[in-house]
Amino acid sequence: MKNQFIPILSILLLFCAHGYTQKTPETYKKRVLETSEVEFLTSYYTQDGNNAAVSGGVGSEELTDATGTFVISIPLSDDEILTIDAGISAYTSASSSNVNPFDGNNTADPFQASSGASSNDVWSNVTLAYSHSSDDRNNILGAKLAVAAEYDYFSIGVGGSYTALFNEKNTELGINTTVYLDKWNAIYPTELRPFKSGGNGINDPFFSVNTITGNTNYNPQFTEFGKETRNSYALGLSFAQILSKKLQGSLLFDAVLQEGLLSTPFQRVYFGDVSDSFIENFQLADDIERLPDSRFKLAFGGRLNYYLNETFVLRSYYRYYSDDWGITSHTVNFEVPVKISNSFTIYPSYRYYSQTSADYFSPFESNLSTNLFYTSDFDLSKYTANQYGIGISYTDLFTKRHIWKFGLKSIDLKFNQYDRNTGLSASIVSGAVTFVMD
Amino acid sequence: MIKKGILGVIILTSFSSCVVIKEYDKVYINDPDMVLADRKCDRNLTTFHSYREAASGANGGKTGGGCGCN
Repeated sequence: MKNQFIPILSILLLFCAHGYTQKTPETYKKRVLETSEVEFLTSYYTQDGNNAAVSGGVGSEELTDATGTFVISIPLSDDEILTIDAGISAYTSASSSNVNPFDGNNTADPFQASSGASSNDVWSNVTLAYSHSSDDRNNILGAKLAVAAEYDYFSIGVGGSYTALFNEKNTELGINTTVYLDKWNAIYPTELRPFKSGGNGINDPFFSVNTITGNTNYNPQFTEFGKETRNSYALGLSFAQILSKKLQGSLLFDAVLQEGLLSTPFQRVYFGDVSDSFIENFQLADDIERLPDSRFKLAFGGRLNYYLNETFVLRSYYRYYSDDWGITSHTVNFEVPVKISNSFTIYPSYRYYSQTSADYFSPFESNLSTNLFYTSDFDLSKYTANQYGIGISYTDLFTKRHIWKFGLKSIDLKFNQYDRNTGLSASIVSGAVTFVMD
Repeated sequence: MIKKGILGVIILTSFSSCVVIKEYDKVYINDPDMVLADRKCDRNLTTFHSYREAASGANGGKTGGGCGCN
C-alpha cells in the first residue's frame, strides 16, 4: 500500500515545486476566474425492470435516487483556482432491499421490495481540485483529491492533469491521471451468511425460523472474498482542435486498469446444474457473482461541434469501448441546441448505446457451478439502449437577478428517458443553477 | 479501431495546419453551446450511465472509483 502513495506524493511535490518556481511578470493579465462561482446541481432518477442482479437476474430493479451537489470555484490568485465539490446521493432500491428479502413484513419475493434496512443508503462525496495557469494561459496544471463513502464502500482518489494550448490557442493537448483506492465492507446475501467460515451452515437458527422448500439439503458453493480492496488506475489523453470559425472537435482516450474485488458481494447467482431451494417465494442463492480480479478498459471518443447559425448548433459525440472481459461498446450522441431568444435555449438530444456481453455473463439459472467466473448482472449482458432528452437553459451574462451577494448566471433543466431492449426503463430530471459572487 | 483513431488525429491535425483562428474571430467557437464537453447538468446522467452500462471513459466523466452497484 505504501508503494502506491509514492507516485501520488511525487505528483503533489511536483505541483508544489511548480508553484514556487513560477515568476510573475509585471504586465497586466486577465484573471483566470474573475470572481467566485457557486453551482448547485440536482437530479431525481427513477428506474424499473425485471432483471435485478441482487436476485440473480430476475426480480424488481425499481430504484429512485435523489442527488444534490454544490460546486464552489474560488480564485486564489490571478492564476489559481480552488474548486470544492461536495454532494450527496440518497437512494431507495427494491433490488438492494433484497440483499435480505426476509426482514420485511411481506412474503419474500424477488419482485417485491423488502422494507428492511438494506432498502436505502446515502452516498456522499467531496472533491477538492486545484488548477494553476501559466502567465500566457497556455499551460494549465491541475491536481485533485476525491473522497466518497457509502455504507459498504469507501473510495479515495488522487489525480493530476496537464493541459497545453498552442497554435494561438487553436490546439489543445491534455493528459490526466487518477488513482482510486477503494475498500469494500462486503455485505453478503442473508441466506449465505451462515456459510461463512466458522458459521453454522444449515444448522444456523436462520434456517429454523425460515422453512426451506424445494431442495431441503441447501448447501451453497459459497466462500467469502479474501480481499476487499479495489484499485483503479486511469490515464487520459485529449486533443482538441479548432477547425474553422464555426467548427471544432476533440479526440479523447482513456485507459483504466482495475484490480482487486471487482465482483459485487451481494449479487446472487443461480446455477443451472444445482437443485433449487426456496424460502417463501424467494430462491436461495447458489453463490454470489465471481468475476476476475483485474480488468483493463480502453475507450476512444470524439466530439464535433458546429455552429450552424445564430439559431442552431450541432453537437455530436461518438465513443468506442473495449475491455478484457469481452465487452465492446458503441455510444453515439447528438444534441441540437436551438436559441429561441438571447437568454433561452432549448436542446433536444438523442443517444444510442450498444454493448456486447461479458464473457462471464449468463442469465438466471444458466451459469454452471463448474465455471470459474460467473455473473447474472444484466449491466454486463448484451443489449442496446435508446435515450431521448430535452433541456432548456436560461443564461444572463449580466447577472441582473440576485440572491444575497450572488448574481444568477444560468439555469439548466433537463429530462431524459432511457430504455434498454432488456426491459430496463429509466428517467432522470436534472438541473443546474450557477451564481457569480458580486 | 486504433487505426481509425490515428486517422482521426491525422485528419484533425491536417485541418489545424490549414487554419489559425484569431481570438477576435472566435465569437462562434466561444458560444456556450460549442463547449467540447458534456453539459454541467448532465453530470449525474453520466454517473448513471457509468453505473448501468459496462462502458465508461473518453467523455470527461468518471472512469473509476465508487462501486456503482445499485
